[in-house]
Amino acid sequence: MHFFSQLFNYEHPWSHVVIGMWHKYPNPHCSHVVTVDTLSRTIDPKTGIVRTERVLGCKQKAPTWIVKLFGGSEDAFVREISFIDPATQRATITSVNLSLSQFATCLEQVQYFPSSPHRTAFSQTAEVQARLALWRMAADGLEKWLVQRFEQNAQLGKVALSDVLRTLWEERHAAHV
Amino acid sequence: MAHSLSEECTPLKHKYDSCFNAWFEGYLEPAMNVSADAQQRETYSKQKAAEYEEKCGKIWESYRLCVQKAVKDKGLDTLLQQAREENPLTEPPPVDKSSSPSPNS
Repeated sequence: MHFFSQLFNYEHPWSHVVIGMWHKYPNPHCSHVVTVDTLSRTIDPKTGIVRTERVLGCKQKAPTWIVKLFGGSEDAFVREISFIDPATQRATITSVNLSLSQFATCLEQVQYFPSSPHRTAFSQTAEVQARLALWRMAADGLEKWLVQRFEQNAQLGKVALSDVLRTLWEERHAAHV
Repeated sequence: MAHSLSEECTPLKHKYDSCFNAWFEGYLEPAMNVSADAQQRETYSKQKAAEYEEKCGKIWESYRLCVQKAVKDKGLDTLLQQAREENPLTEPPPVDKSSSPSPNS
């Protein structure tokens, strides 16, 4: 598993940052995010917490070996869940990749909270994890296939040389007669 | 405003996003300042949730149906279902203590 984290401040009050969140895309600095769709949204009538589920469409060129191995494409989708709690002044956003998620997941968590009335702290952590169980299954399958191919080819090799030997020596015998 | 994953849904999405953003900008600051009293918070939240439903409910329904179909057409519905089962996130995740502001700040 690999981790990433960072923490910094925006020189804007929390409410401005949280309002701005919904206006982040499209953005020339993040041109890889091309589509943003809201799938569900609830406003809790008790706590006032706004929960939003979105799906972000990204165009990011994956390394060619990844595309070849896993059959990925340029389009990648991410599921994002956000909670905005006005009472505690905290916004929490969790994202996970949908594309290629059978091989590896990248789980990101972002929080925005006031560090002063005029500043907002941004904390971000991400963990990338390959699905080892699946890799192992894939590796097992590959090994089985390779052994089968080897057995088949070994059989063919036997037949091939037997043929050559028969032809060669039958011809030579014939020549001596 | 960003596009929808289906061009067909983009006009509905833009309408819905504008509606939500207008509502949210009127909601957030008063919601932060409403008294810490749970009863008062509930009264305010209930009223604003109803207002959101009244203002954006109709356009949301059209947009939701459009995007739901688009998600299915792109084959994302199974992947989404898996992600939801693995991590439903129906409640806010626990607060990371290391990044919490100290109680005195």
